Formats: sequence, structure tokens, C-alpha cells
Amino acid sequence: MASHGVRRYKITEKTPEEKERELRKINEYKSLERQVAEKVTAKEYSAETLQEISDLLSRNPEYYTVWNHRRQVLRHRFSKDELSSSEIAELISDDLTFLLPLLRSFPKCYWIWNYRVWLLDEARRLLPLDMSRQFWQQELALVSKMLTLDSRNFHGWGYRRLVVSTLQQIGTPTEAASLTQQEFEYAKKMIGANLSNFSAWHYRTKLILQLLEEQTASDEERRRMLNDELELIHQALIDPYDQSLWFYHQNLMCVFDPTLAPRTMAPNLSVSERVEYLRNEIVYIEEMLDGAEDCKYIYQALIDCMLSIAKVVGQLSTEDRSQILGWLSKVKQLDPLRKNRWLDFEKTLATL
Amino acid sequence: MALVSGPGRAAGTLSDQELHIAKHVAYIQNLDTRKDELEYWLTEHLRLNGVYWGLTALHLLGHPEALPRDQTIDFVLSCQNDNGGFGAAPGHDAHMLYTVSAVQILITVDAIDELDRRGLGGKQKVGSFIASLQNKEDGSFMGDQWGETDTRFLYGALNALSLLNLLDFVDIPKAVSYVQSCENLDGAYGVTPGAESHSGQVFTCVGALAIAGRMDLINQDRLGAWLSERQTDKGGFNGRPEKLPDACYAWWVGSSLAMINRLHWIDGKKLASFVLQCQDPEAGGFADRPGNMVDVYHTLFGIAGLSLLGYEGLQEIDPIYCMPKSVVERCLSQR
Repeated sequence: MASHGVRRYKITEKTPEEKERELRKINEYKSLERQVAEKVTAKEYSAETLQEISDLLSRNPEYYTVWNHRRQVLRHRFSKDELSSSEIAELISDDLTFLLPLLRSFPKCYWIWNYRVWLLDEARRLLPLDMSRQFWQQELALVSKMLTLDSRNFHGWGYRRLVVSTLQQIGTPTEAASLTQQEFEYAKKMIGANLSNFSAWHYRTKLILQLLEEQTASDEERRRMLNDELELIHQALIDPYDQSLWFYHQNLMCVFDPTLAPRTMAPNLSVSERVEYLRNEIVYIEEMLDGAEDCKYIYQALIDCMLSIAKVVGQLSTEDRSQILGWLSKVKQLDPLRKNRWLDFEKTLATL
Repeated sequence: MALVSGPGRAAGTLSDQELHIAKHVAYIQNLDTRKDELEYWLTEHLRLNGVYWGLTALHLLGHPEALPRDQTIDFVLSCQNDNGGFGAAPGHDAHMLYTVSAVQILITVDAIDELDRRGLGGKQKVGSFIASLQNKEDGSFMGDQWGETDTRFLYGALNALSLLNLLDFVDIPKAVSYVQSCENLDGAYGVTPGAESHSGQVFTCVGALAIAGRMDLINQDRLGAWLSERQTDKGGFNGRPEKLPDACYAWWVGSSLAMINRLHWIDGKKLASFVLQCQDPEAGGFADRPGNMVDVYHTLFGIAGLSLLGYEGLQEIDPIYCMPKSVVERCLSQR
């Protein structure tokens, strides 16, 4: 979209030779662009046109209109009467291969990802299920590779979710369930590689809900999952300065918030269970302060837990309030950037 | 008429905290004179967005006349396709992103009637193009006929249709529930249901709910907390947890905070300081980070961020529409 992360360089006046060279490049590009436009207007959907489109897109993968031209050419070729499934599959396969180097060089280009999805949807539309499934299946390996290169790539994660959900739609329920489990392992692996990777943590939150749903898990099983997750995040929080971990922690704490609980992994805990969990959590988090007294996230989490207790039982006791005030004074001191947020909170607290 | 591509040198330092208005105006005006650079031609697919970015920045900088109005209107109209939608430049396919820019530009230069006078099928046809991209089942919007779905397009649709006074062309309750389905437990929003929260998508989702009059659906304290945590120690905002700050998030995060009345939850002085360090004090323009190449996209969103903060010498921006507040007020009051 724009030049993200490009270091500045000194712009110097171009020599006549450099100007000449630039001009030549412009003319070359413009004439290629013109050729493609003319052929597409004339509906000349030949192999040669496709080649020129490939050239143009390799020079400029952001040229969305030319991606649309490519779709038109491909659609035309797919619709030739005597084409067999394996011939169509070959066309699709060639095109997927063409995209690979572009994706590697421009992993944040929306249009390439979109085009790839379109192509795979065409496979689904035109080919027998077992053949199209193979295409979709291969995408998991590709996207894993892309996410190894950049583990926060937004497009990569979105693409992964799409591939998985499509495979689940076209597979049997058993296949779908085992894929969820497989993805859960994948997210775990990505978290293991880098605890700060919130994209992977986020994926985990969604997969847990899906897993439990697929297993039609009982409340007891859901509670067990919750306990495992609490244990996991407690271990990870050995580094309490990492924001990603605290957002995952916050996500888990939603289980105990009566208004958010219905959207979480354990929606049916009783009032006393919620309070017990929260009280235990407060004890646990307070211990983290030892050696990390300057970590604002700890105080924030403590405040959130205490507020949740008040929500669950319907009132805030004097003792709990004074604890919150104590933690709040630390946060105000440690978090000057968000000073007004804490002052606003202090006012709200007075009304609780 | 054309704009977009980059080269210039962002180079602010902490000691340089002045907004170089004249330089930025000149930078934007000169974007269209760079036809001898390959980059100019390689960015043609952004041209109409570029005009919107440049024009809006000029309005905020107090130089609305710095681009020739007639040529601007002619260029916009030359980008219209037979289906009523607009492409990035003449000959480029129609897409939501450029159609929204076209409407925003015409409203900004007070020339929306030109659509009825000289456009293909008038305002109605533009509205129909946008409406044709709504998924009737779930309320989401596609970018074009090829099917990409993203909350950016939903916001764009509501933005443009409300400016055209044609919101009744689409199913607003369904669009609203789609936005809700993109909400995560952290109170923020993603690009589609299930996607990780992202500041850019927060802007689009909150903006869409603001236009639809459904701000009551937002968990404002929770979202405000997530948004305010986007401010990093150096003052700049990042787009997601544990990512680097970028000047454009001064807008995406800042406007979202403003829409939920919590812009005061962050340190505005430090944010402004970061944004100012992203400008090129010599050749004008803003970059994503201090020391990087400038471009017109970051130039608008850097300036828009400063405008939100009430920076002296800038016109006020509307946090919902990303257009000058006076323009939006004029447009909406003509109903």
C-alpha cells in the first residue's frame, strides 16, 4: 500500500545516462501494459497473452486490474469444451506455481493472496472433490512456510484460517475434527518458537472453542481444558513484561466474567467456582510481583481479577476496594502514558 | 492529475518538533510531476486513493486550493467504469476502495452533483455498484466482483453511501451484525470473523458502527484499554501487540479512541512528537518511522493524527470519515 519500513536514502540528481535508462524502463513497462490491455479488450485469451500478463505482474504485483485480466484468461481456458479434469488441474497447478516466487517476494500484497484464493475456489468449482481437496491440502504446507518467514504476517494467518475452514467444509466430520487438533498442535508449536507471537495465541483461543465444540465437551471437560490453559499461561508468564502473554491471560479471565462467559470455553461455572478461581488467580499473580515490582501488567491483571469478583457477586467489598486502590496507585506511577485512563477508572471505581 | 509515489527523506529528530507545513504542501503538489520516474507508473493502481490522501492532507494543512479543482474533478470522473464504480485510474477496474475515494474527493471539493451532471448514471448508479457488493446473507461487503471480503470494504460502503445519502440501498442491520461477529474478547476487531484484532480493522468497524448509529454495541472501556495499550514507550502507536510503531496508526488508533471518547487515555504530546519525527523537514512528506522513506499515504495519516490531537495550525479532522470536519458537517447538514 505504501512504503513501509524502507530506509531513507539520499536522492541525488540523476546523470543523463541514468535518466535515459529510467526512461527506457518506463517505455518498456508502458508498452507491455498497452499490449496486455489491447489483447484483453480484443478478447485474445491466448497463451501468449497469459505470458505477457505474467511478465507484467512480475514487474508489478500490485496491479489489481491485471490480476482480473488473468482471471478472465484462465476462465476462458477452463471453459473450452473438450478440456478434461486433469488438463484443468494442470492449468491450475501451473498458475499456483507462478504465484510462489511473487508471494515470497511480496508477502504483504493483498492481490496475490486474493488471486490464489480465487484460483483454489476455481479448483473447487471445476474439479472432482478428491482432486480439488489435494490442491487445498497443499496450501497448508505453503502457508506454514510463509509463517516461518514472518510469524506475524496478517495475510498468512488469515489465509491459514481460510484453508483450514475450507478443508473442513469439504472433508468428513472426522477429518474436520482431526484437522482442528492438528491446528491446535501447530499453534502450540508457533507459540513455543516465540512466546510473544500473539497471532499464534489468538489462533489458540479460537481453536480451543472449536475443539470443545466438536467434542461436545461436558462442563467437566471444559473445566479441565481451562485448568490446563491456566497452567500453561502461568508457566509462560515467567517473563511478565510481555504484553502478548497478558492478552492471552485476559482472554482466559473472560471465563469468570459473567457478561463475557457465554463466549468462552467454560461458560457454565457457578458463582462460587468463579470466585474461587479468581481468588486463587489473585494469590498467584501477586506472587509474580516478587522481583517484578515495576511490571504494570501484573497490577492491571490484579485489578481486573478483583473487578470480576465484584461483578460475579454483585458488589465490591471495602477490603477488595482498598486493595484495588493500592494496585491502582502503583499502575498510575508505572504507566504515565495512560495516566488519564487510570484517573477515569478511579472515578468509575468510586461509583461501584 | 496523479499522485502517490514516494521518494523523499524522512529525517526528523527529537529536537525538530516543528510541523513543516509549506514543505508538505509542496511535496504533495509535486507528486504529479514525477512522470519521469518508473515508480510513478508502478503506483498507478493507487492513483485515486493518492488524490484523496493528498487532497485531504492539503485541506488539513489549510491549503485546499493547492490542487486544481477542475482537474481533480475531471480525473475522478475519468476513473468511472460502466458499472458505476471507480477504478484507481482510467482503464483500471472498478473496486470499492477507489469508489469510496472518488466519493470522498467529490464531497471534499463540493462537486458531488457532477456525478449527476457528467457521471455515468449519477449518484444512484454509484450507490447501486456499492450495494451490489453486499453479501445478502451475512451483511459483509466484497471489494469487487471477485469476492475478497474484509471489514475495510464494509466501512467504505457505509462511508460513501452515507455521504451520498443512500444508506437505504443496503441492509444496515445485517452489516452491523457482521461487524459484531468480527469482535474479539479483547474488545477489538479483526478483518473477518475469527481474525486477530488489528487497529486498522478497529477503525473500520468502529467507523461503520458510528455511521450506523450503533456505538452502544461497543464495549468501550475494554476496547479503549486495548487501543491505549497500542502506545509504545517512544510515543508512537503500533497496530497489534508486540509490533513496531508506525505513524499511520496515529490515525487508525487515534480516530478509534476519539470515536469512543477516549483519546485522552494516551499521551498526546508523546504521540505528536513521534509523528513529527517521521516527517522529512527538507523535502516534505511523512514516513512510517523516523528515518524511512516518505509517501503520501503516511503523509495524510500522520497529519490526520496530529489534527486529531488538535495540533496548532491544522484544520480539524472528522474521526469517522477521515475528511475535514467542516466538509463532513456541510455535507450531512444538506439533508
